[in-house]
Amino acid sequence: MAAVVTPVLTAGIGEADLRDIAVYRGRGGYKQWERAVRDLKPADIQAACDASGLRGRGGAGFPTGKKWSFLPNNDKPRYLVCNCDEAEPGTFKDHMLLEETPHLVLEGILLGAYAIGSHHAFIYIRGEFKAGYAIFMAALAEARKAGFVGKDLFGTGYDLEVTVHRGAGAYICGEETGLLNSLEGKRGEPRLKPPFPAVEGLYGAPTVVNNVETLAYLVPILEKGAAWFASVGTEKSKGYKIVSISGHVNKPGNYEVALGTTVNELIQIAGGMREGRKLVAVQPGGGSSACIFEEHFDCPYDYEHIAKAGSMLGSGAFLAFDETTDFVAAAHNMVRFFAHESCGQCTPCREGGHWLEIVLRRFVEGRGLMSDLDMMRRVSSTITGLNLCALGDSIEPFLKSVLNRFPAQFEARVLKETTHV
Amino acid sequence: MSDRRADFPALLAELKPECDALIAQYEQPRSALLPIIHLFQSREGYTSPEAMRAAAAMLDLTPAVVESTVSFYTLFFRRPVGKYVLQVCRGLSCSISGANDIMAYFREKLGIGHLQTTQDGLFSYEEVECLAACDKPACMQVNLEFVYSLTPAIVDEMIAAMRAGTYATAPMAQTDAPGKTWQVDQNDEVSTGGKSKGARDVSDPDNAGGLGDKAGVIMLDRIVDRDFAFRGRTSERVVLEEPAQIKELVNEDAHH
Repeated sequence: MAAVVTPVLTAGIGEADLRDIAVYRGRGGYKQWERAVRDLKPADIQAACDASGLRGRGGAGFPTGKKWSFLPNNDKPRYLVCNCDEAEPGTFKDHMLLEETPHLVLEGILLGAYAIGSHHAFIYIRGEFKAGYAIFMAALAEARKAGFVGKDLFGTGYDLEVTVHRGAGAYICGEETGLLNSLEGKRGEPRLKPPFPAVEGLYGAPTVVNNVETLAYLVPILEKGAAWFASVGTEKSKGYKIVSISGHVNKPGNYEVALGTTVNELIQIAGGMREGRKLVAVQPGGGSSACIFEEHFDCPYDYEHIAKAGSMLGSGAFLAFDETTDFVAAAHNMVRFFAHESCGQCTPCREGGHWLEIVLRRFVEGRGLMSDLDMMRRVSSTITGLNLCALGDSIEPFLKSVLNRFPAQFEARVLKETTHV
Repeated sequence: MSDRRADFPALLAELKPECDALIAQYEQPRSALLPIIHLFQSREGYTSPEAMRAAAAMLDLTPAVVESTVSFYTLFFRRPVGKYVLQVCRGLSCSISGANDIMAYFREKLGIGHLQTTQDGLFSYEEVECLAACDKPACMQVNLEFVYSLTPAIVDEMIAAMRAGTYATAPMAQTDAPGKTWQVDQNDEVSTGGKSKGARDVSDPDNAGGLGDKAGVIMLDRIVDRDFAFRGRTSERVVLEEPAQIKELVNEDAHH
């Protein structure tokens, strides 16, 4: 596969003002929405989604159609919630989509809501995205005026309301049950699962939480067909993905590529490494993912291959490191993030993250102890698997991967002389 | 500065219809808590005890529940902040792309550290987690408006404009004088400010793009951690007084 960028969701960004509903409609915008409400049944959209092989683009990579299929048939209302609480370190795609092409985001939400038979959809926007919030509110008002949101849409009798909810600064609200608690006006603490949101979500009713990028892909899938989407990618990872490339590359940015593009190709796409520098590690899926190294740089960037390489694709945050990187400081930075963002419900995550951060800071200061190296491994692996949500489990992967790969960097920060007599 | 507490009933009366509209958006009223707090904070510059109490009365919650919820979110300031809240990204992508130098530069320039406000009440400074703008490091937000690809020159220009009152982004509302920090765990001994001793010269070519100023980061973090470490997000409660007056106001409105 060649190193090519294929703008699908990102098409037109930087060329046209897609915030303007007239511009968006001029490019075929809201046609799929009108067609869906007029001519398609919810089951048709579900079938298209299944056939396309679309998987959640927020981090877990769960098949979207399958997630929808878990909704029970009962007399409760159903809700669709679009997760735009993008805060995974290194991810900046939803931020771009929200600000640059808000109507596409909205059309995706509308299609997702229709597909699950919902009459009330929500979008949870990260509190920091103040400009994005204003842009999306303006887009929603335009769409409402044009008759795409509200009551009796296109004269079919179908009602759909969209409510925009702003967060207020908490990474954990990107976790779907934390998000639902926050949307209910509570502390954004994740819930014990089961019951899963599909059964008992918002207000105890069946709820689907989908990422911005996932929902936005429904638009081109309906427009060009599920087969078009499924024709690219690899065996189990179909279609396209926006990869947020940052770090020591020449041209960091969001690049939309077919899944299966290799790690090396992604580096090329982002303009290569800084001059005279060499790629030594990639964190392929955001702060929660382990680093992958040289032996995997020709690995296709898809869910399975990255998992096989010992990491995960996550939200598509691709952070490149060259040989000048201080991995001790990087590990400290990452662990500090999770320690700061822990909601505090589960002891292993709250205490473990906090103490690991303190120990790592000692290393950054050159005051580590040899015995700390094993202790950090032990503590971080103990945290994993003992928490309500995935945040605690996210502390270990990056730390362990760099501890194993660059032990010399850590050993060099061990205290040389002691004052013991 | 006018008397915020005396002005609060008038503000509440003004915002009540907007709050009702927010509540009406949701199947359950409590969902409107975050939007209501955002609304009051946008007018008062911080989340005052009166605002929390008013929200509690409107949503039929106890003030303690409201404060517990508000305290979970870092963008709700339960103590007054400066006119410009400068939130610089300390995420890993920014950090390996020069952000540490920028943070050191801010601390030197403003003479304050993480989570502190300058004595003149103009600047509140915080080093925050990943802001989702990793393609344009180092990045920051000024009163939640993004500023990308920071350099010392951009910082100089920004601070000068803020001091001159010509900066493009609107200042935070100022209804109460800020203290040395807006963290509720306020401890006068902690918030002494002072320059970052470990900062390396940001114009040093050897230091470009790397992890500079480790000593500066560590020194300030240690000062903050020593006193905040074991308290986490749930911290000391703001004392909520005079519930009767607010309750009355809200109820009165509901009757009409």
